[in-house]
Amino acid sequence: MLQLRRLLREIRGGELLLLAVSLVLAVASVAGIAGFAERLKLAMGERSLYFLAADQVLVSPSPLPPEWLEKAENSGISVAKTVSFRTMVYGSAADPADEKMLLVALRAVSDRYPLLGTVQFSDTVYGNAQESAGGPPRGEIWLDSRAFAMLGIAPGAEVEVGEARLLASRVLVDEPDRSSSINVYGPRALMHSGDVASTGVVQPGSVVDYRYLFAGDTAQLDSFAGWLEPKMLPSHRWRTLTDNQPALAQSLDRAESYMLLAACLAVALASAAIALSAHRYGQQNIDRVALMKSLGASRRYILSFYARQGAVLLGLAVLMGGLIAEALQGLLFQSIAQLLNVEVPAGSWRPLLTGAITAGVCLLCFAAPPLWRLSRVSPMRVLRRDQEQDNAGLAMPLLLGGGAMFGLMLWFSNSVALSVAVMLSSVVLLLLAAALVLLCIRGARSLSTRMAGSRQRLAISNIYRRRYGNAFQLGSIALALMSLLSVFLLREMLLKDWQSQLAEGTPNYFLINIAESELAELDGFFSENGVAHAGIFPMVRGRLSHIDGVPMADTDIDANTAGLNREVNLSWSAELPSDNRLLAGKWWSNTAHTSTDSDRLPVSVESEVAERMGAELGTRLQFNIGGQTLDAEVTSIRGLDWQSMRPNFYFLFPANSLGRYASSYITSFYLPAEQRPLLVEVMSAHPTITLIEVDAILAQMKEVVSQLSAAISLIVLLLLVCALLVCVSNVQLSLDTRRQEYALLRTLGAGNRFLRATLFLEFAFLGGLAGLVAAVGANLCLVALQIWALDMAPRVHLWSFLFTPLASAVLVTVLAAGYGRRLLRTPAVALLRGR
Amino acid sequence: MIRVDNVSKTVRSGSEELTILKGISMEIKAGQSVAIVGASGSGKSTLLGLLAGLDSPSSGYIHLQGEDVTAMTEDERAALRARAVGFVFQSFQLLPTLTALENVMLPLELSSAKGARERALELLEQVGLSARAGHYPRQLSGGEQQRVALARAFVVEPDILFADEPTGNLDAVNGGHIEELLFAMNQQRGTTLVLVTHEPHLAELCERRFEMRDGQLAEQH
Ligand SMILES: Nc1ncnc2c1ncn2[C@@H]1O[C@H](COP(=O)(O)OP(=O)(O)OP(=O)(O)O)[C@@H](O)[C@H]1O
Ligand SMILES: [Mg+2]
Repeated sequence: MLQLRRLLREIRGGELLLLAVSLVLAVASVAGIAGFAERLKLAMGERSLYFLAADQVLVSPSPLPPEWLEKAENSGISVAKTVSFRTMVYGSAADPADEKMLLVALRAVSDRYPLLGTVQFSDTVYGNAQESAGGPPRGEIWLDSRAFAMLGIAPGAEVEVGEARLLASRVLVDEPDRSSSINVYGPRALMHSGDVASTGVVQPGSVVDYRYLFAGDTAQLDSFAGWLEPKMLPSHRWRTLTDNQPALAQSLDRAESYMLLAACLAVALASAAIALSAHRYGQQNIDRVALMKSLGASRRYILSFYARQGAVLLGLAVLMGGLIAEALQGLLFQSIAQLLNVEVPAGSWRPLLTGAITAGVCLLCFAAPPLWRLSRVSPMRVLRRDQEQDNAGLAMPLLLGGGAMFGLMLWFSNSVALSVAVMLSSVVLLLLAAALVLLCIRGARSLSTRMAGSRQRLAISNIYRRRYGNAFQLGSIALALMSLLSVFLLREMLLKDWQSQLAEGTPNYFLINIAESELAELDGFFSENGVAHAGIFPMVRGRLSHIDGVPMADTDIDANTAGLNREVNLSWSAELPSDNRLLAGKWWSNTAHTSTDSDRLPVSVESEVAERMGAELGTRLQFNIGGQTLDAEVTSIRGLDWQSMRPNFYFLFPANSLGRYASSYITSFYLPAEQRPLLVEVMSAHPTITLIEVDAILAQMKEVVSQLSAAISLIVLLLLVCALLVCVSNVQLSLDTRRQEYALLRTLGAGNRFLRATLFLEFAFLGGLAGLVAAVGANLCLVALQIWALDMAPRVHLWSFLFTPLASAVLVTVLAAGYGRRLLRTPAVALLRGR
Repeated sequence: MIRVDNVSKTVRSGSEELTILKGISMEIKAGQSVAIVGASGSGKSTLLGLLAGLDSPSSGYIHLQGEDVTAMTEDERAALRARAVGFVFQSFQLLPTLTALENVMLPLELSSAKGARERALELLEQVGLSARAGHYPRQLSGGEQQRVALARAFVVEPDILFADEPTGNLDAVNGGHIEELLFAMNQQRGTTLVLVTHEPHLAELCERRFEMRDGQLAEQH
């Protein structure tokens, strides 16, 4: 009871306040960020399920064995099936001469389709969309507006598909799982899967894509997937969000990396604050422990007293931190739920547990060493103040804590690279700061003895005398500022990056399947209507068949996950596309290449796909293009930006080198909504060209990005508080050490103005130096992260080299002025007596 | 009660060895009051610390209530202090985050005695501070703080009370008040009193007087 009261008083009185706040912050930032990341993932997962129209989707080139589906249904999972193929649709007209035919991408869907989300349809061509819980009933077919237009019929007409006559009852606007990839060609249509047999279109050997949709609770699905796993053929594969939305996946990936980095930094900063404030608390308690011992307290009593103190403090911190984390998440998810139009799943206890464990470990590692030393204080101190001044440094907690911090980062970032990067740069920074400080101080001192006034000389000699303590303090302030600066700069970069990709004018339509003969006309159309396009690229479709002479089937590369199981788009270009980055190898010189059977063509491969298929510079690849083989050798590796919404290619060949294969062209362009009618014009003039809309994806990405921006801004704020805390603890600790000295100076006749000036000069110097180190560190750290972790182009922020030292000097001086006020006001006697 | 046999204390400061106490022997009987005087730096506080078991001597033996303190561990000595020893210090040494009452209760809580509150209030009453029980040390004057410290020292009914310059930080009036209280409470309870002081008249009040000089102790008669 007395203990709790004492604890609360110490928090209120300020002695434990910083430690308490540091702990709360450690819990809040870790639990908040981890919780946010977790729930965002859940929410986005949920959202992506709408894009799958199910919880899980299995893709297969042939029907699945019925036992599999029975097994699924028996275990309580809902199952739906879609069968996609391309076929001709014949419109019926009064005059058979007017009858038109059209190649459509047809999907036949079973009764339960879609398991999640709705099908959007309209009653009129290009009309307003309505929602339907299911697809067309038997005997009906829903065609999209373009199909109606191109067949020259209206809803209500009959069409023929193979041998079946179906009623074209409605206009298909959108299916939830409509693929956004470039694999879907031509106008689309939706019918019932029960009618497939009667059309007679699907024959053995037809190219058909079977999708099986499953929905159920996670446990059921997991056990079903586990049951299925050993039975699955190489041609079966699970669809994921990444499959059809590489751009969104990349945004989320970056945001996640960012958050984990921020969480790591927050832990590092909170740890530093905990270490500093625990150290200070230990110092303040030396006399009290001596007194308690003289009154008969045993060492065990002291240890358990402070251990209980720590436990209660931790408990309070977990409670407070948990509440703050919850509030932060509530704030963020309130709007995210509206934007994403999903129920944000409730968070689990895990993030709070993570936060609690983090804070606990930090407290243990950073507070245990001072506590241990505290328990060894000699009770003789009650008689002789000067007894064994406890000046054991922060080395022990630093080592212990550094190890613990690394473990924690590893634990919840699950990324060795990130943890090592943060840890290593912190250590390097600390050492750098220490070295720099010692050097600067030495230099300044020799300078000051010659020229500066007595005030400056005193300030500098003060800094010099405490140089080791100062080096550490400066290092930790620099670390705090560096973390803050990095996170801030990274935020700016991410935002800019996202925004530039989602800026007005980001291509929202793709045209593919453009024939060479149509190029001129299309170009004319673009320039006539002032439509900006991303360039028209040639492309040849081919399948990767061999890697280094080994057939794909015999390699241990999972072609499904590598995205190489189907035909890929090959293109050629003389120049490196402007938004591509050369990561390895050389781009070809401008000499034209022509393919002969004897030599190998150079090929430039996208970095991720290269990694997935284990290709390096010099790897030999063989492609099968419409039955012909093409030999190539990897001569360069490129980085791509999937968010640019421009045509991108996994494989690029030198200009004109694929001339002998049948090729088509692809482009993407931006068309504002009001210019949409132009599309009908182009599309009816060129019915074989395929149009793909990515408006929906863009809109979704915009939502997500604005949400993520809010989230990372909040995180920057959190780090700001952490960094401030480190600075405050630091300043307080160093003011403590000045007590005696100031008292002495005061008794020797130093006036208040003199002391204040000394204090300010000292802290301004330290602050400025810390800022400089921080700017160097942050820029180094950023460049490293941009290159290795975030996959962005590196950039140095020059302004930070001027701004940070200034801001830091001001901040530290202001803090010192604030906290030093009391010190400057206290009379000398009281200072000397230590009260 | 207290027996000191040939006790020496040597400390290292830097590379030098400094012998503070050189073969001190003395015996104090139960209920006696003893003053130790001597020049500053002569080793009075060091000796007091050894007597109270706050520190252990480099050589020699100290017996407190028949028990060999020098053979005890630090924790055993702490237990002995909790049981039988009270302290008054020059610089009061109250815990700033506890009220006057809680400061007085502290030693009782350390030995988990029952009725701590009532006992503490009683003692505060005796030193005339029951009205200030809820005040924090910083709200009390130096003299009042030392009275709280006295109450704290006597609250465990110690067999021996050690005082290191109890009036050293106080003016004459307050110092006199503390002296009176100290001796009154001491006599009331028959406590053995060991007192280090610079003030001759305080030393005069004690039954026996020792003088510390160059680390050696001589009784004055
Ligand atoms: N642990 C120690 N390390 C170094 N020197 C010590 C230590 N303990 C005591 N001394 C020295 O021993 C001498 C005696 O110290 P002590 O505090 O006992 O003197 P004192 O008689 O109480 O003096 P005062 O009247 O000023 O309080 C002093 O010179 C002191 O500096
Ligand atoms: Mg002394």
